[in-house]
Amino acid sequence: MKTSNRLAPIIIVALLLVSFTGQAANCKETLNYRLKWLFNTSVVGDLYALDHGFFQRAGLTVNVKAGGPERDAIRELELGHATFGVASADQVIRARAKGAPVVVIAQLFQVNPLQWIYRGVKPAINTPSDLKGRILGVTFGGNDETIMRTLMARAGLTEKDVTLFSVRYDYTPFYQDRVDVWPCYKNAQGIMLADKLGRAGEAVQFFNPADHGITFVANSVVTSQKTLERNPQLVRAFAKALVSGWEASLMPENRNKALAVLQKYNRDTPGDLRQKQLDATRTLVLPGDGARVGTIDVKGWKQTEAIMLEQGLIPKPVHVEKALFPEGNPL
Amino acid sequence: MLGRRILQFFLIFALGLLMLMGVKYGLGLSDYVIPGPGEIITTSQAVAQDYFFDTLNTLMVAVIGQCISIFMAFFVGITARKSTWAGTLIKAAAYNIQAYPIVAVAPIIFILLGDGFISRLLIAAMICYFPLLLSVIGIMAEPITDMEHFYIATGRMRWQLEVKIRAFENMAKLTTVIAGSSTLAMAGTIVAEFIAANQGIGHSIRIALYQSDLSRILTALFLIGLFLSIYQEILEGVGKRLTSGWILPKGVENEDL
Repeated sequence: MKTSNRLAPIIIVALLLVSFTGQAANCKETLNYRLKWLFNTSVVGDLYALDHGFFQRAGLTVNVKAGGPERDAIRELELGHATFGVASADQVIRARAKGAPVVVIAQLFQVNPLQWIYRGVKPAINTPSDLKGRILGVTFGGNDETIMRTLMARAGLTEKDVTLFSVRYDYTPFYQDRVDVWPCYKNAQGIMLADKLGRAGEAVQFFNPADHGITFVANSVVTSQKTLERNPQLVRAFAKALVSGWEASLMPENRNKALAVLQKYNRDTPGDLRQKQLDATRTLVLPGDGARVGTIDVKGWKQTEAIMLEQGLIPKPVHVEKALFPEGNPL
Repeated sequence: MLGRRILQFFLIFALGLLMLMGVKYGLGLSDYVIPGPGEIITTSQAVAQDYFFDTLNTLMVAVIGQCISIFMAFFVGITARKSTWAGTLIKAAAYNIQAYPIVAVAPIIFILLGDGFISRLLIAAMICYFPLLLSVIGIMAEPITDMEHFYIATGRMRWQLEVKIRAFENMAKLTTVIAGSSTLAMAGTIVAEFIAANQGIGHSIRIALYQSDLSRILTALFLIGLFLSIYQEILEGVGKRLTSGWILPKGVENEDL
């Protein structure tokens, strides 16, 4: 009895080790691709690549897994639970600062969809200084807080000049007009909020930090340094298939097919909103400045790192350019 | 001298940390997945003061929430102890309310009551009260035949007396359940803070999660465990005193029996 008690912790640790290594071994057969968020329009290209055989034609078996607030693709890469994943730039930079061997192989959004929505009847926010005296929604600890604090700092505003309101998933405070500006993904929640307020006869505006010189990179596709070094062909094949899927999903002639994919995976969003969301996503992934889908904005990444350093979110520079796919673009 | 509960907590927490370190170094994981001892110490030193007061704030809400749930559990338990129509209805209502997951109900509570103290309190009480209720119903519905028979036979039985007899005979069981339910009250408060509140250690854990900072989460877990152990130690001490005061004659200690 006593021996078995002493052995119990050893057995538990051994089982944990076996489960981690077991997962890593499985990746050779099926590639787990962990998204950052739940299935919605922001991941249309990922789902399109899966459903329209882009991965299959590249000889890959891919399991696209929904993300969520409690999911962290970078951790899953390191633990061997996933081979590829989607992470925001701040996640990548934080992870690099702590020694995580993560590399970026494609940048999905060329324009960060994270913007602030506000009612059209309110005074327009033309410069960050116009934020003074307003009630600003921020997700404490989230990257929107980082962006907002940077905007405030650039405008010479302190916390005394504004009221920061803690944002969660419930939009009631914004609907009730208790908060002036509310952070949202312009192509997802932004469309939904605008629609709801529109039906009540209220117009909305968006405040985009990028218009004021704040480039904070959004979601990108990541893998581990180990996978890239051991199997660069696999990484290249995956990135190419994924980017091709994204490109196809955003082509106007494939609109109905893309909407059908969204209908399959995201039934809760009404059809008309899905259409608007898809059109909005196109402008963020393909902004029309000639950049191809997946292009890594090295300058944007460097600015994101500089912002995080300025905000004290990382203790020292990580030289994030070293984490970006060596050629800047996997294609 | 450290109490038994606190000592046990230190031991379990240390074992948990050792296991994490075993996984970290066994698999060669970075500090992003599992932070090293150095980072844990540095972070905990940096956030200790803020987290201390956050945890204290959470504990205060949990204690009040637990008191409310004890009151609710006794009220429902005593009312529903008889197999009458009203008793069965109350029992069914109490069971059905519990069937809804709190994370589904919480947003409604926050919309109606805001994200302040009352919402946290209500959620803490809702999570804590059901196990208490089950125990109270179990105890109150079980007759102490030997004693109750006398009062029934002599026509002196009243409901207050019945409740007193049953509580008296099950005092040790009741104090154990109440001490145990403090864990649920704390968990309930943390869940509420995690979902919507702007205060407390649950709110801090949420921010740390957003920033993928496991060191902060470990610090928070340490403080939650420590505060809870102290609170449980106090509850058990009070329970022991109560039991001794009711059952044992003056001058006789528990250990003497």
